[in-house]
Amino acid sequence: MAKKETMTINMGPQHPSTHGVLQLVLELDGETVVNAVPHVGFLHRGVEKLAENRSYHRALPLTDRLDYLAPMSNNLGYVLAVEKLLGITDQIPERAKVVRVMMAEITRIKSHLVWLATHALDIGAMTVFLYCFREREAIMDMYEKLSGARMTSNYFRVGGLSLDLPEGFENDVLEFIDAMPGHLNTYEGLLTGNKIWQKRTIGVAKISAEDAIDIGLTGPALRASGVDWDLRRDNPYSGYEDYDFKVITRDGCDTFDRYTARLDEMRESCKIIRQALDKLQPGPILADEPSVCLPAKKDVVNSIEGLIHQFKIITEGFKPEEGEIYQGVEAPKGELGYYMVSDGTANPFRMKVRPPSFVNLQALPQMIEGSMIADVVAAIGTLDIVLGEIDR
Amino acid sequence: MIKEFIQGLSITAKHLLPGHTTTVEYPKQKLEIAERFRGLHRLVPDHDREKCVACGLCPTVCPAKCITVEAGEDENGVKYPKVYQIDMLRCIFCGYCVEACPVEAIEMTGEYELASYKREDFCFTKERLLK
Amino acid sequence: MPEMLSLSNDPILFLSVMVAKILVVFIVVVLIVAYATYAERKIIGRMQTRLGPTMTGPLGLLQPIADGLKLFFKEDIIPAQSSKFAFILAPMMILVPAFITVAVIPFGDFITVGGYLVPLHITDLNVGILYILAMAGLGVYGIVLAGWASNNKYSLIGGIRSAAQMVSYELAAGLSMIAVFMLSETLSLRGIVDAQAGSVLNWYIFSQPLAFCLFVITSLAEINRTPFDLPEAETELVSGFCTEYSSMKYALFFMAEYANMIVVSAITATLFLGGPAGPFAGPINLLLKIFFFMFLFIWIRATFPRVRYDQLMFMGWKVFLPLALLNIVITGAVIVF
Ligand code: SF4
Ligand code: SF4
Repeated sequence: MAKKETMTINMGPQHPSTHGVLQLVLELDGETVVNAVPHVGFLHRGVEKLAENRSYHRALPLTDRLDYLAPMSNNLGYVLAVEKLLGITDQIPERAKVVRVMMAEITRIKSHLVWLATHALDIGAMTVFLYCFREREAIMDMYEKLSGARMTSNYFRVGGLSLDLPEGFENDVLEFIDAMPGHLNTYEGLLTGNKIWQKRTIGVAKISAEDAIDIGLTGPALRASGVDWDLRRDNPYSGYEDYDFKVITRDGCDTFDRYTARLDEMRESCKIIRQALDKLQPGPILADEPSVCLPAKKDVVNSIEGLIHQFKIITEGFKPEEGEIYQGVEAPKGELGYYMVSDGTANPFRMKVRPPSFVNLQALPQMIEGSMIADVVAAIGTLDIVLGEIDR
Repeated sequence: MIKEFIQGLSITAKHLLPGHTTTVEYPKQKLEIAERFRGLHRLVPDHDREKCVACGLCPTVCPAKCITVEAGEDENGVKYPKVYQIDMLRCIFCGYCVEACPVEAIEMTGEYELASYKREDFCFTKERLLK
Repeated sequence: MPEMLSLSNDPILFLSVMVAKILVVFIVVVLIVAYATYAERKIIGRMQTRLGPTMTGPLGLLQPIADGLKLFFKEDIIPAQSSKFAFILAPMMILVPAFITVAVIPFGDFITVGGYLVPLHITDLNVGILYILAMAGLGVYGIVLAGWASNNKYSLIGGIRSAAQMVSYELAAGLSMIAVFMLSETLSLRGIVDAQAGSVLNWYIFSQPLAFCLFVITSLAEINRTPFDLPEAETELVSGFCTEYSSMKYALFFMAEYANMIVVSAITATLFLGGPAGPFAGPINLLLKIFFFMFLFIWIRATFPRVRYDQLMFMGWKVFLPLALLNIVITGAVIVF
């Protein structure tokens, strides 16, 4: 018998389907993957360290750049963490909370759209890619209208929001969520029933519930393995307990079920957004906490107190008491956690980010060992990783 | 199985019909810019000079440390920025400078076509920002 | 009834008519190749809510020329570790068989030139179908060679994939053709076209629907088009066997892909749709049929995901091959009884 030799192949960091700069060292036996080792760190920018040299306020834009496909979810996690550190969680006005939830859910749809687009493209269905980006464009427009930027929104503030909703924004959102289920059906028409799509996804990249929990998978990847766990329901924040929504779970543990779970999650998000729109009442958007929040612009321009207040907050920042907290939010990709330590100064002593993609990526070798090369790209796609968040 | 294939084909065929393209032919057509768009900065003029009083808040708050302000005093003893410069290569367009300014002297415009061949072109001095 | 033009009765006229026919067919095929790329980009673009090329010339019509020029002026890179001879040979090995297959396709009936009858095909081999199969077989060597000579692991996998894929699908494609010439009782394409003459209902698509479907699907696989484009599988293998190619060599691969599409469309039209038969002049009918199939291929590309290698093999050997054999048995039984 001939000696069995394996071939080692570098997949990435320059490869169209590794979603950025992930490098996978694959050991192949023919087309079968014997061993896979992911290498990360090509996009490391030192976000956590940078935050230590910035005031809490000025560290916020850094979080936009973690998971750049879902900036508002990152912002939300950060501001909630800082608010918890300051102990002002209860003082956030209702309107700010509702807008936060609404935008977080819009962001979830935005992120899932990119996931579906690239996942389908990796498997060869390139039309879905462009359809998804068409809808994502509508969300980008909303982002632009609301915050002024299409990607790095930097919209939430510690204590509330930076700006109120622009005129007509509710209508845009309503129009979007009215149209979205139809679009979802279009994607499903192209993929769900398609025999080739089913063949490529059913039973591919399986991970059992026990393994998923052991590894620490979160988000849709965990729920598609049958674990009913969603921070929005099980550890609510920003008023999620007042919304009526289903946590989508599946038992298939495979790529197909993760796909349907995410699609249904988008439908649920539309429902949450609709409820949020109903809840939206006029009111303040910033907590009444002068030591933390900037004064309103008209006070700054017109009154000397406002001016001093503005100077004080911007030059000195706010100083949470010494302590440490952890705040997790259910970001589109899983549990995004911020662990903040304060030493009583205006800069965080330590900001540790628990990025969902980083933890989820650990499941990759287990998912693909023994499968074909083509399944590797399917598995990377189904985990929905973003390297900006993994490498930080 | 065949039914689903045909369903897929009909979806793509439907999009072949006119009226489904969403392309904006960029240099010829442009997207409408939202009012709040965070593009190139502009120093707001006030009569014959800039409104800025060189208070130094925007360089303080800027997370990218890209604003340089040097205060000076004119013949009437009014503070004004002798040097006001933004390094657009470092700017992350976060909008904090606008938020921080106590006299509304800086704002962000819808200008986003900032590409250039020379590094110097990204150094936006007071004169350029006032335009 | 004028006499058939042959080498013996007027050698000079015969040769010049021959050369003219070859040139015309070649130019038409090259033109279709060029504008197939344009059509593909336009059609898929529209299906994907885009526009496709618009900037070069009116409606972007000069795009294929611009592409050609661009590729022509690109630096021609031959990787240092590649085996140069095979590396240069491979693109030609792919393109040439694709083009010369067209020689046996009849594109019309007869026309009279200088008092002689001239048949509208380049040549009529009495083993036409075997010739087509042989040429298709030759094409595999080009891809395997390209994959191997590039000295790139992705290319190698692409090359191996395509070898396995083309060999196994050729079998099914060949077997589905057998049913056709069991009915026509000839291997010559002209003969097959003649056997379908008369009425539209004589077309083999009606008597051999299964063979028709099998042939279209397997030939999609043979020419590496989506959903069977595994050898190139952009998102897995980064273009597979042509990863290392650049400049005009890459253009040759590209042209070969489209030339193969034309060839397969033409063969399908000839075997199952009566070839040049139809309401218009012969060549136009054939072209329309070819365009129809090419549109179908492009449409399929815009819609379907890609199958996986093992599933592809599974389908080839366990679905299409038995079906083709079954079809032969049924056809045989019908003929005998
Ligand atoms: S937009 Fe942000 S980064 Fe740019 S100059 Fe203003 S504060 Fe600095
Ligand atoms: S904050 Fe306003 S007034 Fe102060 S330096 Fe900046 S632009 Fe000038």
